Amino acid sequence: MIQVENLHKEFQVHRKAAGLKASLRSLFRRETVTKVAVDHVSFNVGEGEIVGLVGANGAGKTTIVKMLAGIIHPTSGHLRVLGHEPWARHNDFRRQIALIMGQKAQLWWDLPAADCFLLLREIYQVPKKEHGEMLDFLLDLLDVREELNIQIRRLSLGERMKMELIAALLHRPRVVFLDEPTIGLDLAAQRAIRDFILRYRQEMRPAMILTSHYMEDIERLCERIIIIRDGRFIFDGPLGEVVSRFAQHKIITASLSHGGRGLDWLEAAGGEVLSQTGSELRLRVARDEVADVAQRLLCDTGVHDLGVEEEDVAEVIEQMFAEKRGG
Amino acid sequence: MGIYWQVFTMELRRQMSYRLDFWMNSLFAFMAAMAVVYYLWSSIYAGLDGGEIAGYSLNGMITYYLLVILIGRLVRGSQQLMAIANDIYDGGLSRYQLYPTSYLGFKYAEHLGNLLPVALQIALLAVVAPFFLDLPPEYAITPATLGTALLVVGLANLLYFLLALPLQLVAFWADNVWSLAVMLHFVGGLLGGVMLPLDLFPQGLREILYFTPFVYLYYFPVQVLLGQLGWAEIARGVTVMAFWLVILGSVARLIWLRGSRLYSGVGI
Repeated sequence: MIQVENLHKEFQVHRKAAGLKASLRSLFRRETVTKVAVDHVSFNVGEGEIVGLVGANGAGKTTIVKMLAGIIHPTSGHLRVLGHEPWARHNDFRRQIALIMGQKAQLWWDLPAADCFLLLREIYQVPKKEHGEMLDFLLDLLDVREELNIQIRRLSLGERMKMELIAALLHRPRVVFLDEPTIGLDLAAQRAIRDFILRYRQEMRPAMILTSHYMEDIERLCERIIIIRDGRFIFDGPLGEVVSRFAQHKIITASLSHGGRGLDWLEAAGGEVLSQTGSELRLRVARDEVADVAQRLLCDTGVHDLGVEEEDVAEVIEQMFAEKRGG
Repeated sequence: MGIYWQVFTMELRRQMSYRLDFWMNSLFAFMAAMAVVYYLWSSIYAGLDGGEIAGYSLNGMITYYLLVILIGRLVRGSQQLMAIANDIYDGGLSRYQLYPTSYLGFKYAEHLGNLLPVALQIALLAVVAPFFLDLPPEYAITPATLGTALLVVGLANLLYFLLALPLQLVAFWADNVWSLAVMLHFVGGLLGGVMLPLDLFPQGLREILYFTPFVYLYYFPVQVLLGQLGWAEIARGVTVMAFWLVILGSVARLIWLRGSRLYSGVGI
């Protein structure tokens, strides 16, 4: 449903030093810098698939989504969504997609949600009956029927986000882009929205692309993730594979009876103590040292239990983002 | 068409939700402007000892200003002028890019929805005004001139929208285009007869002005309403308006096609 080949986007950015003098100079001569936001990426997304797009701020996630939705023009590359070129913004294409932006209100601020939905029915030319059914389905699923007639600006952030979701899905889009849908929400609201997205996928089988800062969103919703750094893909595959391919460490937990005395050798052996609470010790150990360290621990008479786990996927991915700054 | 009707009424509902603010604002602005006009011209005419200026009696002059101010509101609409530039500047355009409808059609419907309350106020004033002001004999408002004037005001409204549109679209390149909006307001007001009736301008300049779009924003509709123009003159004026509508529309289209490629959808 989504085909992307060699997609590339550059921006011209004006650069101005701080201060009044620089401001005055910039009135006459401005320095422009070319910034590569997305660097020749390729991927496909099929029906019913939720793909997580993960990356640090400014990595290019949102830029990709904006190009897929037809909001901005790609510098070069081949792009097809539902057989259409997004930038042409054909009405037939636009009737079948939705973009939900967690950071940007899309509904009309001064109107109650009910009025907004009415307007959207006209915009998307949805027959009255179909619109009513879908609205009922979504209102029940998200449990916001009570708030339907309240001005959008008077809703809480969580309620507003739910209304945004309803607004975006009323026309039963076949391709859905979700840009940070849970940003700023409390845990209960995050969970509600995640459950909703899963339910929606089950019923409607759309192709979805999700960007989020919360690893929990990604872990709960996506089987496949794309990790992006400086506009390039550094991983595209099943979530489970991230750990086996990129984790450089494992976690060893040991139960101690002597409180950890005599374990000074650990650091020299490449172990890093993550935490020590009472008799429980958590260590991060480089993968190729794990066997050694475990063996030495087992020889210690003060250790009466030992476990070896994979590193948390969120941490692995965070380390991958951090590498950028290092090198 | 259904969409545009919805947008139109939605904008109306939105306006109504701030009705107090709306009535206070427009009423005060109107009264202040009329007070300035009245005292300024009364004192000018007082020095003339009952004479005329460029064919206007004092009463005629005040009637002219009253109409130019009211018609000006219908032509410009309310504060919506820079809505498109703002959408480009703050990324609000993004959501409209997603909708399967024409963005500019949407905006124009919004603009018109904004206008209806203004039209209501004017209708109200039209009922009240005759009690305070007697129409000078040189003016003849008839159902025919009123009907024609309404059509011309409709065209003038579209003309103003299309005059502002290319300026607003400059926002694709420059971040802030307020100064252009102020310029249009000022130049349009000066050359369109809001500040002074064009009859006070030198004859040569006036003839040139008839080829610009500005005259048709304010001065021309008022003259049509007051029955000062013959059918041939009206037809010629409407032709010039149509010419400008086509030109400005094409220019805006060209700028849109080039500019929207630069749009980066900031803020998301």
